[in-house]
Amino acid sequence: MEMIGFLILFPLIVAALLMVVRHNTARNVIVIGGTIAIAVVSVALVVMNLGTAGQYYYFQSEIVNYACMAIGVIIGVTIIAYGIKYRNVWAVILAIIQMGGSLVFEFVFAHDVTCTRGLYLDSLSLIMTLIIGVIGSGICVYAIGYMHDFYFGFHDSQEDNPKDRRPTFFALMFVFLSAMFGIVFFNNLVWLFTAWEVTTICSFLLIGFTKTEEAITNSFRQIIMNLVGGIAFLAALYYLVIEFNCIDFMDFIVFGTIAPALVVLPLTCFSLAGMTKAAQMPFHTWLLGAMVAPTPTSALLHSSTMVKAGVFLLVKCAPIYAVSFAPSILVILVGGLTFLLCSCMAISQSNGKRVLAYSTIGNLGLITACAGVGTAEAIWAAIFLVIFHAIAKSLLFLCVGTAEHHIASRNIEDMDLLFEKMPHLARLMILGIMIMFIAPFGMLIAKWATLVSFVDTKQFVLLLILAFGSAATFMFWAKWMGKLSGVAHTEENIERTVHLTEWISLGTFSFLCIASCALIPVISDFFVEPYIGSVLGISIQPVLDDNLYLASIMTIFMVIVMAAIGRVRSKRVKQVPVYLSGVSVDNGKRIYSNSLSQPQEATARNWYLEEYFGEAKWSPVGTIATYLLLGLAFIYAIMSFVGIGLM
Amino acid sequence: METIISILITLVASVVFAVVAAVLGCLLSGIDRKITARMQGRVGPPLLQPYYDVRKLLAKDTVAVNTTMNTYLICALIFTCIAGGIFFSGGNFLMCVFVVTLSELLFVIAAYSARSPYSEVGAHRETLQVMAYEPMVILLAVGFFMATGSFNVSTVLHMDMPIVGTLIGIFIGLLFILTIKLRKSPFDLSYSHHAHQELVKGVTTEMPGKMLAKVEIMHWLESVLFMAWIAIFFVWANPICIPIVIVAVALIYFLEIWIDNNFARVKWQALLKSAWLVTLVAAGINLAVLTYL
Amino acid sequence: MSYVSKSPWIIHYDGSSCNGCDIEVLAALTPLYDVERFGIINTGNPKHADIFLITGGINERNISVVQEIYNQMIEPKVVIACGVCACTAGIFKDCYNIIGGVDQAIPVDVYAPGCAIRPEAIIDAVVEGLGILEEKAKKLEAEKKGA
Repeated sequence: MEMIGFLILFPLIVAALLMVVRHNTARNVIVIGGTIAIAVVSVALVVMNLGTAGQYYYFQSEIVNYACMAIGVIIGVTIIAYGIKYRNVWAVILAIIQMGGSLVFEFVFAHDVTCTRGLYLDSLSLIMTLIIGVIGSGICVYAIGYMHDFYFGFHDSQEDNPKDRRPTFFALMFVFLSAMFGIVFFNNLVWLFTAWEVTTICSFLLIGFTKTEEAITNSFRQIIMNLVGGIAFLAALYYLVIEFNCIDFMDFIVFGTIAPALVVLPLTCFSLAGMTKAAQMPFHTWLLGAMVAPTPTSALLHSSTMVKAGVFLLVKCAPIYAVSFAPSILVILVGGLTFLLCSCMAISQSNGKRVLAYSTIGNLGLITACAGVGTAEAIWAAIFLVIFHAIAKSLLFLCVGTAEHHIASRNIEDMDLLFEKMPHLARLMILGIMIMFIAPFGMLIAKWATLVSFVDTKQFVLLLILAFGSAATFMFWAKWMGKLSGVAHTEENIERTVHLTEWISLGTFSFLCIASCALIPVISDFFVEPYIGSVLGISIQPVLDDNLYLASIMTIFMVIVMAAIGRVRSKRVKQVPVYLSGVSVDNGKRIYSNSLSQPQEATARNWYLEEYFGEAKWSPVGTIATYLLLGLAFIYAIMSFVGIGLM
Repeated sequence: METIISILITLVASVVFAVVAAVLGCLLSGIDRKITARMQGRVGPPLLQPYYDVRKLLAKDTVAVNTTMNTYLICALIFTCIAGGIFFSGGNFLMCVFVVTLSELLFVIAAYSARSPYSEVGAHRETLQVMAYEPMVILLAVGFFMATGSFNVSTVLHMDMPIVGTLIGIFIGLLFILTIKLRKSPFDLSYSHHAHQELVKGVTTEMPGKMLAKVEIMHWLESVLFMAWIAIFFVWANPICIPIVIVAVALIYFLEIWIDNNFARVKWQALLKSAWLVTLVAAGINLAVLTYL
Repeated sequence: MSYVSKSPWIIHYDGSSCNGCDIEVLAALTPLYDVERFGIINTGNPKHADIFLITGGINERNISVVQEIYNQMIEPKVVIACGVCACTAGIFKDCYNIIGGVDQAIPVDVYAPGCAIRPEAIIDAVVEGLGILEEKAKKLEAEKKGA
């Protein structure tokens, strides 16, 4: 329990220090020291509790209760202040509702309700701990080099800029880590709610970090949507306290599994909260907008951790979805539609970060759908999707961030010849991409498990969605990978100016990627199956060990090939220029002599199929459909609530 | 221990597949060219012409536009063998499908890596083709599971009835995308065996001599594997299925050649739309029936 | 006989021909003459071709194109000049823009005259070229072993 306390409190101390310290070297030392401590303790916690079936700690504290209340007020006041400053009425209204609601809740309803088991730890928390503690820390280390380039450019070593707001940036990152640890360890729903809101406000401040007009607009879009989710969370708390006098998360899940008909309304509310945070349609626009933030923010908050808090909540509730009716259908269909439509829309995007954002939303959709199915196999699949998505996506975000600073663009078309310009970076990027979409790498194994669980539960619609969505996924990843892999032997290597800190985190992530892909059976045995066993009493592995090990062998083979490819030049092979219809001027640059005898460059742009997969076409469809689903689910939930009342 | 044995069996099966399927695929390709020629009122090349072609290509000088392409192609070839090994050792059908996709991806990346305008256009089209047929291939595996209760290919050997009975819609869908997979007209957008191409040679433009030989061999292996996918629809626990399978596969291969010779190439829009529509309707209805009835 | 002569793939380039010979080249591919009987395939890609079939003479504009296509073909390779224009520039010899026959640009292995050249002559020329192709293949083999 001490370690859990350390993980939640220590980042806060680091954050406070970072706010005070203004010196660059000192800050770098604090960041590196802090992240190492967090990572080491996270790993130690995991090792010491390996394979746990769930432990609950009797921990009650009035201080924490009041602290949570204070944090809630601070968050509310901050949002209201920003809302007034930038004249955003909705943000103010929602913040007032939420702050008022939570104060009334604390003083009037929940004052006497206690939760004796304040903290817990099970195998799912352990997985999340590793993700937050190792990947989150890695991203903070990466941010040292990145934020330097962000302000000064990689060629400039001057360290003095009045607009330098790095202290705030790093402090927010650490506060965020603390909140994430809170989410995965708190069993007291009120505390959990507070941590939930802390992630929202951190995200809000980080999206608006650059204070450009676009950033401010997008940050308000984020806060409004997440406040809606927060209010839904609060509504669920009201219901639980008034009806059952319960703020114990585990009790809620156990009770819900036994009597799903009685928790339809709170479960629907939790679903809404989880889906807003996980940026499911119709709330996906906030995550797209969040891409204006500096890349480490996108990597940390909007791919590997914060959005995972949303699906974490849903996966926790999965056993209830398995036995309930309307909330389950809501989550399955919203998740499924989001996966399909966002995978399709990703085809039409040429901005690298936007492709990553759409792919993130899509994969979260798949995780959401798995949670909605809620069987043992589906949970297995969902957890593996979470793991691989967290690792591979953060690697990809960081690669795009570094590439952006060196080629001055995040457009995929400009990443042409990156294999030569930045040979190591391009290989890592390709590794990340392959993990995201192709067997034998992790994501596809998880999708395989998803398929098995959908087949077993006869989810006809989801099967079709998965088939078509996967095809779309192939398209947008393959063409990106193709763009990266071009080799013309004409370009200079420009990656020598990449910071050491960036390489360290990129290297760590790549190692994690490879290790996690190669060790799927082991992860399954020590983390995923114990968790499923602890909540469902059975443990099933949807994909047989034989196939997993075969996949591991192929993975390692592919990794070796990708690492070695293009480095050895055989003397027996003659290098020849490409075919340009016999009228070439400069083959390396693809310049040929056109019909007017003028030199002209042949360019090939990837296919974006706007006409078929454009945002303008599909986004409204998805938004309307998911709003309808939400509306129907809430009508059903309220009717069932009234029905219970009448009985 | 069992895991190791099963993986070893798969690997051995891959090697055996590589040899046997190469011979069969070569003959299949030879028959294809012969029948095509007859349909066009020509005599056609000798039956072993594909073999001569590959032997010639292997004897050509070793050249390359860059240092990476050949490696991608070798990997693509290896993974095609493994896919075959998985299938013929009775392994997981889904795994087989995924590995085929991996080898397809490596083939596309090989074309992209050349950075030649022509091969890049070929690569774009090839990627689109994969997107067009991939849903059907996944649903094929799903349908297989629903009909047999397992993803293992070996289960068809214990069925009381051939699965084509319950999976007729899936079978029709597979036939449709088989034309894309075998690179037959009207869906030979990225690369085909016909003489003239408006885009030089599509994906293979920058793959000369020995590399083209690898592509050809890969194509043989794939043809055999895909025909085996057709064959499992007609297998059940009765030796009488053997002649039926042979007749069925022969008929369907003939059908593909006939289609190849009678339809002009379509645009990519028609390819994508028709493939997805057929998948949605044929496989969708079939799966719906299996799910809800 | 090695396999190289069993599958000669052709690339056809039209220099400054009057199109008479081009039509005859294409006629050779039709069912009547069916050169695929001998494994001959008309590819559009120099990197896949073994035999370079040129019709028409060489002029100032196309000399570099012919040379580039020739250079992009992979060894072993053979050049066949089809028709009298390709052999010597024929009727166009004295035109201001004509340099001469194909041998002014690249080494020619087989000369096949005719105006226009008959399909039978083309097939004969290819068969003739196969012998040379064979020799070149052997030389390449020997070089590889030597190296």
